[in-house]
Amino acid sequence: MPSQSFLGSFAESAEEHPDRCALALDDRQVTYRELQDAASWFRTGTALPGLPAGRPVCVPAVKTPETLALLLAALADRRQILLPSPELGEEVLLRLCRQASCSAVLLAGRDADGRPSLTVRAVEAVPEEAEGFRLPGPDEAQLMLTTSGSTGTPKIVPILAEAADRFMEWGAGQFGLRPGKRVLSYAPLNFDLSLLDVWAALRAGAEVVLVDQERATDAAYLAGLLERYPVHLVQAVPLFYRLLLDGGPSGARRFPDVGHVVFTGDAMPYDLLRRLPDAFPGACLHNVFGCTETNDSFRHEVDPAAVAPGEVLPVGRPLPGVEAVVTGSDGAVLEGPCTGELLVSTPFQTSGYLETRRNADVFVRLPGDASGRVYYRTGDIVTRRADGLYLLEGRSDFHVKVRGVRVNLQEIEQVLRDHPEVGDAAVVALPDEVAGVRLHAQVQRLPGSGLRSLALRTHCSRHLPRPAVPASLVVADDPLPRMPTGKPDRNLIRKNRMEKEPA
Amino acid sequence: MSGDIKDFIITQFLPDIDPAELSDDYDLVENGVVDSLGLLRVVAWVSETHGLSLDDIPIAPDNFRSVEAIRRFVAEARVSAGLH
Repeated sequence: MPSQSFLGSFAESAEEHPDRCALALDDRQVTYRELQDAASWFRTGTALPGLPAGRPVCVPAVKTPETLALLLAALADRRQILLPSPELGEEVLLRLCRQASCSAVLLAGRDADGRPSLTVRAVEAVPEEAEGFRLPGPDEAQLMLTTSGSTGTPKIVPILAEAADRFMEWGAGQFGLRPGKRVLSYAPLNFDLSLLDVWAALRAGAEVVLVDQERATDAAYLAGLLERYPVHLVQAVPLFYRLLLDGGPSGARRFPDVGHVVFTGDAMPYDLLRRLPDAFPGACLHNVFGCTETNDSFRHEVDPAAVAPGEVLPVGRPLPGVEAVVTGSDGAVLEGPCTGELLVSTPFQTSGYLETRRNADVFVRLPGDASGRVYYRTGDIVTRRADGLYLLEGRSDFHVKVRGVRVNLQEIEQVLRDHPEVGDAAVVALPDEVAGVRLHAQVQRLPGSGLRSLALRTHCSRHLPRPAVPASLVVADDPLPRMPTGKPDRNLIRKNRMEKEPA
Repeated sequence: MSGDIKDFIITQFLPDIDPAELSDDYDLVENGVVDSLGLLRVVAWVSETHGLSLDDIPIAPDNFRSVEAIRRFVAEARVSAGLH
């Protein structure tokens, strides 16, 4: 769906094997012909053709065959599409729409007889809110994703059509996607991961098994789905494998049909890694690294037998066509084995955020590099070993990943401080056996305030996406512990909390 | 019985609050008290405490959205399981 050439490949598949399954969701199987027909209906039988040309449409990424058909229809109409998380609050959703100058929010559904239906909500243009946001031309980029940032408004990332084509081409080749192969789509449809497990798969004529987002942590459901639909490729955060192997009523499971297991978005724990070969005896294991701005940039084929306990798994080497450099704290490019900030330039990357003022510091050219290549500053600290493998060490800022979603601790602290009765706040990430990381907030309320943690929690959930709402919130009159520099002593806060409530 | 559910939620997810603060209709899902993993803990607890088979408990967030919703769900599930 991200490009016109994708549409061509999709139409070919629909013509060559119309009765092959394109999408499976629970009991429902939708063939290529049916998906194509549903897309045609959206193009002709709905209010879609009447929407103003030249303004994008917003399609909240509810993962259903109807949404996918609607996306195909909008693409065929050469419309630009903003595809945000369906879980965003109303206010944030509308703000994104106005920033991208969307004319309407479109929701595809099914009526009582199982026929597709379309709900159209017009969005009023507010020119001041779109100021400073530059839309690429529809020939340049049709799809716009958003980052999973932790503040109120995620950043809009246009996906260049050519970049998407190159990525789908790489993905199909790397993981052997073709007609007759099945792929599991675990990530939400608005994640860049879907460019592989939904879009590259459909482009290759493969079958996509859609995981219902509401049940994405229901281990019994996940195992049942994989037993019913043996898949060739699984791409998911480590949490998914934890659930699959440990969760649910019937215990250990094996999935011999899986040819490729991809884990991404988070560090794979050693104890889980060494159990993967038993669960997926026919699979090649890949640790893949990337982000919405650049899509995948590194891959590492993992042999669990060669990994020592406690060893950090490398993110691997740059993908074909990817340039990676490491810079020191002064910004100079480092050579050989080193540790520093990772900058990448990928064939799959965006042209920059829609909000142009955000780009100057993040999308950069290297001094003295005549190629003119644009690099993305990842903010990730990496080590490059002598053998050329890269290891992820952490972040140069206050970002952490909570169940695959990147959140910024400082931004959460700001949201807490914005509450009129909060004096100060510190947010720390604590290790969690199952979730990987959970957030804890220590808050000092203003003198005389009767603020309680539940009210503050409500405040947070109004202004933050769910993964960024701290799992635990402690409100007290006492000042935060501080370091001699005056900054909150986050290490002490972390230590105190972990002693009180071990992971 | 309702006290049970509330106590469980508070002990497990909100150890820092006074039980009187948590109203029965407070949205536990929307406010990030019970996330999708937390949901699994609630479901396991409901199964154990109320003698319901895990397989009979659909993990639908709506059933576990508030203390009130959990209470209603458990009552109905017990009736359909013939437990009363």
